[in-house]
Amino acid sequence: MRLSNLAHLYRVRLRARLFQEGLAVVGIAAGVALLFASQIASDSLSSSVAQLNAGIVGSAQLQLSARDAHGFPDRLLGQVRRLPGVRLAAPLLEVNANAIGPKGSESVELVGADSSLSALGGALVRRAALTPFAGLGAVVLPVPLAKTLGVREGQTLTFQTGGKVSEAALFQQLGARQIGPLIDSPVALAPLEYAQELSGVGARITRVLVAPEAGRTRAVRSELLRLAAGRLNVESSDYEVRLFAKAAAATNQSTTLFAAISALVGFLLAFNAMLLTVAQRRRLIADLRREGYSSRAVIAVLLLDAAVLGVFASAVGLALGDELSVLLFRSTPGYLASAFAVGSQRVVSWQSVSVAAVGGILAALLAVLSPLRDILSRDPLAATAPSSASGARTSALLGAGGVACLAVSVVTLLAAPRAAALGVACLLAAMLLLLPLSFAGALWLVRRLAPGVTSAVPHVAVMELRSGRGRAIAIAATGAIAMFGSVSIQGAHGDLLHGLENAAHDENAFTDIWVAPAGSYNLLTTAPFATRGVLQKIEHLQGVRAVRIYRGGLLDYGERRVWVIAPPREATPLVPASQLVQGTPATATGRLREGGWAILSEALAREHHLRVGQAFTLPSPSPSSFRVAALSTNIGWAPGAIVINASDYARAWGSEDASAFNVLLAPGVSQREGVEEIRRALGPSSGLAVQSAEARASQQRALSRQGLARLTQIATLILTAAVLAMAAAMGAMVWQRRPRLAKLKLEGFSPRELRATIILEGTLLLGVGCAAGALAGLLGQQLLDSALAQIVNYPVARSLGLGAALASLAIVTAASIAVITVPGWFAVEVPAGLALQD
Amino acid sequence: MLELRELAKHYAAIGGETIRAVDGVSLSVAPGEMVALYGPSGSGKTTLLLMIAALLEPTAGSVLVDGRDISSLSKTEASRFRLTELGFVRQSFDLLPGVSAIDNAVLKLLSTVRWREAHRRIEPLLERLGLGQRLEHRSETLSMGERQRVMIARALSTEPRLLLADEPTGSLDSQRSREVLELLRELCRERGVAVVLVSHDPLAAGYADRVLALRDGRLQDYEPDR
Repeated sequence: MRLSNLAHLYRVRLRARLFQEGLAVVGIAAGVALLFASQIASDSLSSSVAQLNAGIVGSAQLQLSARDAHGFPDRLLGQVRRLPGVRLAAPLLEVNANAIGPKGSESVELVGADSSLSALGGALVRRAALTPFAGLGAVVLPVPLAKTLGVREGQTLTFQTGGKVSEAALFQQLGARQIGPLIDSPVALAPLEYAQELSGVGARITRVLVAPEAGRTRAVRSELLRLAAGRLNVESSDYEVRLFAKAAAATNQSTTLFAAISALVGFLLAFNAMLLTVAQRRRLIADLRREGYSSRAVIAVLLLDAAVLGVFASAVGLALGDELSVLLFRSTPGYLASAFAVGSQRVVSWQSVSVAAVGGILAALLAVLSPLRDILSRDPLAATAPSSASGARTSALLGAGGVACLAVSVVTLLAAPRAAALGVACLLAAMLLLLPLSFAGALWLVRRLAPGVTSAVPHVAVMELRSGRGRAIAIAATGAIAMFGSVSIQGAHGDLLHGLENAAHDENAFTDIWVAPAGSYNLLTTAPFATRGVLQKIEHLQGVRAVRIYRGGLLDYGERRVWVIAPPREATPLVPASQLVQGTPATATGRLREGGWAILSEALAREHHLRVGQAFTLPSPSPSSFRVAALSTNIGWAPGAIVINASDYARAWGSEDASAFNVLLAPGVSQREGVEEIRRALGPSSGLAVQSAEARASQQRALSRQGLARLTQIATLILTAAVLAMAAAMGAMVWQRRPRLAKLKLEGFSPRELRATIILEGTLLLGVGCAAGALAGLLGQQLLDSALAQIVNYPVARSLGLGAALASLAIVTAASIAVITVPGWFAVEVPAGLALQD
Repeated sequence: MLELRELAKHYAAIGGETIRAVDGVSLSVAPGEMVALYGPSGSGKTTLLLMIAALLEPTAGSVLVDGRDISSLSKTEASRFRLTELGFVRQSFDLLPGVSAIDNAVLKLLSTVRWREAHRRIEPLLERLGLGQRLEHRSETLSMGERQRVMIARALSTEPRLLLADEPTGSLDSQRSREVLELLRELCRERGVAVVLVSHDPLAAGYADRVLALRDGRLQDYEPDR
């Protein structure tokens, strides 16, 4: 058949199934939108870091980098440039800073560079002159950042960095034409000398970017390693991107899991809608085959149906997803921004578009081609045969498959929690495979109970559900998957949040007040500052009992940017007791106080093949030996954490700088009073922020919630989509059944009885689906908890999650039934005479 | 034109018994001739038509159309035969729902010509069938008689040489049945189309050139009082 004829046939048939086709479009579009939006969110995070890195490093292939914010003397640059095989070497100073303008403040990466960086060709500096304004003492900012801060060329802005406050003029705003996608990066660019002055590091830099001559990369790397002498890192220039990928892996994996579940819900909505037109399609197939059309021609007719539906729905889904990513998923997880320069750019890759669109088209294909058996049958009349319900053998096979899958997921949970992804997939399969049996069981139960009731309602409900078994199971499956996603993910989310709150409590239990460099970049209290003068000023305050030095930092250890926590040796409690997974708090405390011992995150220890008691060398600025005192969770920082005492930190970092003062208050002084007294003593321009331990814990809790906010948003969207999907599918099913309802009316059924029948059907259908989903979800929660704890090493406070599951079950079932009563109410108003018409 | 030679279709029933749906039927139909087959439900009428239409494989015997054995055609050849050489009039509820009369009528023509051309070709036939004013009406808004005429138009649209009609008046009143049978006879005679019509309707006998009865799968002489 010609394409124009296929199109004509499609168009003329569309009128009769516009509503069902609309429902299918909504379903596929919802799945595509959620898949696309979550992919944009993940891509944007990783891509913003990659773009900024590429914008800075340009053609450099290697880098010599410092292991902490203190950097290394810039005279090393000359030595690098003189190494044989080095074509270009450019110095860089990168300092985390808080930029404050008239309109607000932003955490930025202050980048100091000279004109040699331009020679590497990175997009950030290619068109930004770094020498002409060197003498002016000014910075350049991307346009959006300048706008957020409310600063224009010639105006001044304030930089807080490492307890130092400086003012700088804005020389130039960089637009998209100059720096392309980097326009949304949180970066302030300054000539090297001026950046050194602003940050107060003196003649030091943090990186030297190296472009070797062709074919000399390996030789140059060896020379750089010799120069680094084990105190600096020599890595490829994309090291930052790799570190970020590791840090964001947990967030991206969970987003992908959500995206997969949402795509599945979207597909089921589409499938439900398509089931409404299966009878029509089967009739068309029979008609075409009887009239002499070949199987290929019939498939072409259906493929056009699928293509139009898939392309249109995918286009709608992509547009919706794009909007969703702007409105809902735009926020950057703050905890990552404290260690990486994460921009706010939205990166839409062709891969994301392709995956989402292909997913949508495949869903349409699967849904439209469901009567494929009829087409492929040798018997052209196959499609005229009534669709047979699955036989007892099929049910038994499905049931056996379901039990096997369930067994695999239980074994995974008990014996191999690291294979949680396999466990969740098996659990999902088990739930779907066992659904027909559960459904049959529910119907059997109603039939057993029905003789005790003087009403035809249960009999009619069971009869109706049996006659449309395929569609009923598809609707129940939608509810089951949505409930599974909601219960398992929200349950695991709750357990993780609870665990993170425990971690936040432990991190703040050893002090009353924190005094640390101000700025949102310093959320993990990792910025070093010189203690001179300030310590004495606080110590002498009336309400202060003691001041202790806390140290902490971020250390690139292998492929992980690890959080090093170093409380003062005297701190009580010294170790985060709730976070230990191996070793006792008492032993660990004793060892840490003694010095030379470290608590390591379990995943980190595993990666470096370390066990409790074993020695290892920490790749700190002054590499030092430690022994493993105990193993812990990652204390809320995905790449992992290391706990040592503050004195050991000073030794390993070769610096007496503090990261914070832990202030203990005199008896009777409240934290609020203490904070006010210290703030007064330090004055407004100290560059230090004073925060009570309670406020810091609360800020960390908020940060955890913010980091997990996207998961909550997607879980809610899935649930909402599922409720609407089930309600729409049930509503359409009820509406399509009006001729049958008319027949029942003709037989003497009252509208009240018919409504009761519809409600009972809905309750059975949704009850079975949602209950199966909730039960599987509880097991899924345990699997996800295990995965979070074992793979990512997150602190997870495990719970059964029964209460939340029951609440979700009740809400979803009640909401869906409430929604289907509307079409049900109108459907039973059908005149009985309809039964007598053709 | 059409020749059936000892055509048989047997099914194995539960308990080892054999059901002889069609049992050694031999019949010849000439071009332009209308043969009516009568028989009660289960007498094998529809099975016979399905075998002539190459929709069902016979157990024994052969179906010859212009000397060619239809029962030995491949799946593709059988489809081609139905599409170009055969018209099949069935009960009117086989029309595509929500689709206009003219689009339902051109369904077969779309395999060979563009839809505009198909519309142009089918319009005179639909006019002739009295549907000139109802071309754009959806199938469900048409009366039973009108729907049956749309079916006839579709069956004749590709100018077949053989037409099979399965209870074409099954859901029509006597007035509409007469109209449909008359149109069928007229059009087939004009075009030299051989017609095999199976029916319960006694009216059909009056329009057929030959009337036969099918009882227990065997062909017999038609006796109206039986």
